[in-house]
Amino acid sequence: MNAIPLVLYVAALVAYMLHFARRQPDVGRAATTFLVAGALAHTFVVGMQTMEVRHVPVTNASSAISTFVLLLVLAYLFTEMSTEERAMGAFILPLVVALQLIPALHPLPEERAEVLQGPLFGIHVSSLLFAYASFALACVIGIIYVLQFKELKAKHFGFFYSRLPALDVLDTMNQRATFVGWVCLTIGLVVGFIWAGQAPGDDPRVQAMSLQDPKIFVAVLCWLVYSFEVFAARRIGWGGRRAAYLSAVGFAIVLLNFLPISYFLTKSHNF
Amino acid sequence: MHLLLVGISHRTAPVELRERLDFQARGIENALATLGDRHATSEAVIVSTCNRAELYAACEDVNAGRAAIADFISDYHGIERSAMLPHVYDVTDLEAARHLFRVAAGLDSLVVGEPQILGQVKDAHTAAASAHTAGTFLNRLFHASFAVGKRVRTETGLGAGAVSISFAAVSLSKKIFGDLKGRNVLVIGAGEMGKLTALHMKSQGVHQVTIVSRTIAHAARTAEAIGGASAAPWEELDTLLGAADIVITATGAATAILTKAHLAAVMHPRRNRPLFIIDIAMPRDVEAAAGDIEQVFLYNIDDLQATVRENLARRASEVSRAESIVNQEVEKFGQWLSSRGAIPTVVALRQRFESIRKAELERLASALPPDTRGRVDDITRLIVEKLLLTPTEQLKSVTDPETVGTYAEALTRLFNLDQKTPDTSTPRGATDDRRVEPFIRPGSR
Repeated sequence: MNAIPLVLYVAALVAYMLHFARRQPDVGRAATTFLVAGALAHTFVVGMQTMEVRHVPVTNASSAISTFVLLLVLAYLFTEMSTEERAMGAFILPLVVALQLIPALHPLPEERAEVLQGPLFGIHVSSLLFAYASFALACVIGIIYVLQFKELKAKHFGFFYSRLPALDVLDTMNQRATFVGWVCLTIGLVVGFIWAGQAPGDDPRVQAMSLQDPKIFVAVLCWLVYSFEVFAARRIGWGGRRAAYLSAVGFAIVLLNFLPISYFLTKSHNF
Repeated sequence: MHLLLVGISHRTAPVELRERLDFQARGIENALATLGDRHATSEAVIVSTCNRAELYAACEDVNAGRAAIADFISDYHGIERSAMLPHVYDVTDLEAARHLFRVAAGLDSLVVGEPQILGQVKDAHTAAASAHTAGTFLNRLFHASFAVGKRVRTETGLGAGAVSISFAAVSLSKKIFGDLKGRNVLVIGAGEMGKLTALHMKSQGVHQVTIVSRTIAHAARTAEAIGGASAAPWEELDTLLGAADIVITATGAATAILTKAHLAAVMHPRRNRPLFIIDIAMPRDVEAAAGDIEQVFLYNIDDLQATVRENLARRASEVSRAESIVNQEVEKFGQWLSSRGAIPTVVALRQRFESIRKAELERLASALPPDTRGRVDDITRLIVEKLLLTPTEQLKSVTDPETVGTYAEALTRLFNLDQKTPDTSTPRGATDDRRVEPFIRPGSR
């Protein structure tokens, strides 16, 4: 099922790349159209799964990634439409396609364990996924910032200079995306702790919920990194390139948590 | 109807002649009215800039039109024909369209891809429209040229990149700050170059321009020349640097006035807000090592010149893409031109049908009761309309001039259209074989 949006995302990826290189407005519009079509198909897929299992499919790594990809695409589309800036698409789509490959090629059955009932769990997962989507956006914006920064410093205006947005705009976007992500991450973690405290203690996975569990540990580490970034931007003027690098490091940790740890290491979050 | 262009440009005429042929001096409307009084052309638009003076006209007879326009130009400006004609070029129909499209695209400009020309072409058309000298033909042509200009601007890099020093400074600022509104510009030194660049920044809507100079009177004078700028004494330099986003240095000082250490101290309380320094002084005002500070972007005059050179080279490489857009649009315009070849036939056909209807109605009139006459008139008109609808649409949709000719001839014979409108059998339009020799063509000099 996740293959249909994947195909559309691949088409969008190709179109965004072409548009980035040649800057033909028609190609740009085609890119957006493919991406919107992909998002609609993806919404339909996630919607169908929701109807089928009667909750949003987020309780295993594969379906959580699928939902995460959808959120990322929606967040990107929102940014594109509010800034009329398509250059970022060429950077965000590779990530979208790479991540969407996982649920498309390796779907896991969506079963919700008894302990995962209740509204707290829903808030926990959805705010975390939204945080990760924001961080992905911030990371891509950060990469673009560094590329543009290097061209401006080197005084050599190559391929990227004319195609990428202004430094200050990128810096502001990065800070905004990071802040939104940090707020969601904080909510997600706090709700997670509250939920774990009141969950029935007889499930071995609930018993494994402590800071020693890699998934929880890395999530907290993530929170520390982003808290520092948000604090540093406001208090000590760590904007620009430093913020961009922090966004990249933070998102690398998010990905680490999302992929290898979710699949192999965690004992508490393998529902 | 034919399209005719007669004109001079920087490619064919020296500046002395171009100056004398400037139509702007006495107003384009005035020139159009004078030309209109001569009844030599049925439509006319004058494109007059400092680099060209071109008359676009629609006329029935190209040779007569060409001579009439040349006479008009020479009489209007009081220039001997013999002094002017060697520099004048003329082209007709699709070649004239191609020429205008290239002009609007900036391909014929002195600085290839410069953006002002499209606005000037638009102004030329607006002037002709308000003087009622632009009709169906030239309206269509000029609107097509606006489309070419827009397409070339959005689809190619022909107009991309700044090609003058002060414009390069502005476009760099935009790549660092995005919008320049709300930004503070500080000019150090009261010289001419600094003033020019500051004026450019001012036109981009920056928040404040401050001039600082060792002699406050100089600073005040420059600030006044810029208009809306303020002058400040040298002692406030550090405070001003702290508040500035863009700094233009252009003093005549023999040694650097801003060192790396000095700037590092200024940058600290700014919390890494970017600072763009444009050093256009010679010798340089800012220590080169200052560019190593994280959020300091330091450009000197050579850097800016290098970007200008790079941009010019890049524009040159976009020319062929722009030319292919021009070709596509010329072809489109040619199709429209050809489809117009059918119009006289359509008109003649309708007139023939209408005259038959009228005649029959008149014959019947006495036999019909007065209250039904109106209805019969309506019904017959409807029948004729419906009968002619499909053939009219079919004729208009044909774009190939040869087919138009065949259709027109067949219809003329079948309905004997020659009787009323004798001149409908020859297709009009896309022939550009009517150039004559006294004038040269663009590019031949």
